[in-house]
Amino acid sequence: MNSMRPLASRFLLAFDAGSVSGAEVTRGLGRSQLRGFASAPLAPGALVPSPFDRNLLRAEEVRAALDRVLQGLGGKVRRACLLLPDGVGRLALIDHPANASAVEYARFRLVQSLPYPATEAVTDLLPLGRGRSAAAAVRRSVAAEYEALAASAGLTTERLDLTPLAALEALLRQAVGPARTVDLILGDVACCLAGYHGGRLRVLRQRRRDLGPGEEERLRDEVQRTAALAGNGTELRLRVVGAGGRSLRTWLRSAGMVADGGWQLPGSALAPEAGEAAWLGEALA
Amino acid sequence: MTRDFSSRPPARARWSAGERGLVAGAGLVLVLVGGLAVSAWSDHRHASERVQAARQSLADLRSRTQGAESRRGSEDAAVSRAVLTAEAPPGRVLGALAALLPADVRLDGLTLQYGERLELDLRVAARNAQAYDLFLARLEASPLFEGVEPGEEGRDGEVRTTVRASFKRSTS
Repeated sequence: MNSMRPLASRFLLAFDAGSVSGAEVTRGLGRSQLRGFASAPLAPGALVPSPFDRNLLRAEEVRAALDRVLQGLGGKVRRACLLLPDGVGRLALIDHPANASAVEYARFRLVQSLPYPATEAVTDLLPLGRGRSAAAAVRRSVAAEYEALAASAGLTTERLDLTPLAALEALLRQAVGPARTVDLILGDVACCLAGYHGGRLRVLRQRRRDLGPGEEERLRDEVQRTAALAGNGTELRLRVVGAGGRSLRTWLRSAGMVADGGWQLPGSALAPEAGEAAWLGEALA
Repeated sequence: MTRDFSSRPPARARWSAGERGLVAGAGLVLVLVGGLAVSAWSDHRHASERVQAARQSLADLRSRTQGAESRRGSEDAAVSRAVLTAEAPPGRVLGALAALLPADVRLDGLTLQYGERLELDLRVAARNAQAYDLFLARLEASPLFEGVEPGEEGRDGEVRTTVRASFKRSTS
């Protein structure tokens, strides 16, 4: 017999080039709990994260994977938060003036570097405090692709978020201390690097991944560049989350670096792969 | 957390049940206020019509009153003229004035205007100022005349001036 649920569940559905994943999360009186997790792999080329081109190149395959995820969650999903993969949104660290709307100013700053018309940009941000935010822009037509896919499966989209911002929000809840810290948030085709100095986020970078030989060294070099951009420090501490995070941490440690995960997921024992899901951090941390 | 990159306009379909309840409540209040406003406007219109009718009645009454007063005033003036003519005919008035004139003062002219009162306009010539002053003193002291008003006068030797006065009606 199923146990009583303290509060209604909410569902998250995450998309990336290699898989579609979903989770059921409940928020009771204590911490949030992972109550269900499902993932379905995608064949290469079915979903290609891009900031301006069509992402769902073989939408029927992605839809089939989504259906399997929904079945894995018990077939009870009606509303869900959709998480778009790294490589879809344009991210930037914005210092906005006190007399300006943060979102409007972020939009003003971001649209200058977008490869599509400014009127097609949907902008939002993650406030960091003291007039700083991690802002992002997504092309409206790209967001609409994922919304249409969810609608075709009978789902109502509660909201649309970006996996790197969701992971960054979770990582920001944990104090980094005085040590020079870099967060590496891995997606299937892109990654995001956040550099801290003096306990404050100083640098936010995005890079496309090259999964060929030597990727570990390239990522290590990107981490060191990010740390240098963030400022000098006593030692480098690395937090790695996302796709392939566990193996990369192992490699980095073998290379003599301090590399940890981002968070401990309550209930993740029922789905060990959930511990690597960057998009779950914000919901559970 | 409210971050949202949805392609739809951000304000649409994001209202919570509480917000929808507030909007519904506000709509109900708006309807009630609208009903009260219509009722108040109707009352105001009826009150305005009553005020207009009262004003019209007052205007009619005032018009009738003025007509009556006008008729009564003309009737009173005619009665006064008749009474004064009988009580103070020109001969009597002239006799009374002649009795008051000192030796060095003469009356060059006299105009009598009978109305509600009998107004007198005297043209006076006196050989000297003392004689003229004596005439004014006698005129003011007379029980037959009142409201004595001396006009402009020159006192270089002979005095020629006008004096206005009223005949005092008997109260009996």
